[in-house]
Amino acid sequence: MLMCRELAGIASDYIDGELNTGRRLSVQMHLMMCRHCRSFIGNLRASTELLRGHSSARVEQSVIDRINHHVTEALSHRTEDPDSDR
Amino acid sequence: MTLNAHPDPDENKLVEALKRGEQAAFTEAVSTYSAGMLAVARYYVDPANAEEIVQDCWVTVIDAIRRFEGRSGLKTWLHRIVANRCKNQLRTSHREITTDFSERLEPELDSRFNASGRWATPPKLRFDESADALLENGALSDCLDKHLGHLPESQRSALILYEAHQHKSDDVCNILDVSASNLRVMLHRARQKIFLMVETFQETGEC
Ligand SMILES: [Zn+2]
Repeated sequence: MLMCRELAGIASDYIDGELNTGRRLSVQMHLMMCRHCRSFIGNLRASTELLRGHSSARVEQSVIDRINHHVTEALSHRTEDPDSDR
Repeated sequence: MTLNAHPDPDENKLVEALKRGEQAAFTEAVSTYSAGMLAVARYYVDPANAEEIVQDCWVTVIDAIRRFEGRSGLKTWLHRIVANRCKNQLRTSHREITTDFSERLEPELDSRFNASGRWATPPKLRFDESADALLENGALSDCLDKHLGHLPESQRSALILYEAHQHKSDDVCNILDVSASNLRVMLHRARQKIFLMVETFQETGEC
């Protein structure tokens, strides 16, 4: 039988629907009987949604500005000499 | 015939403008896509190098965009360019990326089970609030930022690409050069850390 510790190890796969039918059923069976694991899965799912909603890939505007400056410069060379890239 | 897998009209318009070399289009694209590209680069190299690599990639894109056919989305295409450049650079510097793929459970989480594999210290929080409601809590949002900053680069990049950018697993594996099972472990571990963080935060109000 699936134990709580083992379930915690595959909880992410369960949430993402990556488990095969047999494994998924044994997780569901366990969840029916174990409120701690129900709580854990719920928490992990909410954590995942939290991450999804949180724009974790934000960068500072100064970095974007530096990159833009660089690209603008490269572009201006390009337009001065339109045949150079062919 | 090439079928566009992402028939996003806005993206197509942007791509056409990039192909014409319009500066405004580049400014828009740099603002939209650089964050993800930096996440990819930081997986491979240190942050200072990452910015330089992303800069160089954009310069490459000025010409390369003409060969973009839209088989993948623009974002995936850009991420692959960054990944390839990083991999080339690593090859010349012979640096290895090390990640611990051995365990599926964070040690801190693992210690909460007893010898028979049952919860000894069960999850404490009631996570009834929706993610949106939680995010409106500015302190939690800051705390999340802080913890994401402390994740190993590999886990953070995997998380950002998979969760925030909603890449498909195949694309993430390809971009980060990891197997599907290693990607799963990275995601597991990162999510567990976030779970532990939110739990502590809700319990103690401290990050
Ligand atoms: Zn259980």
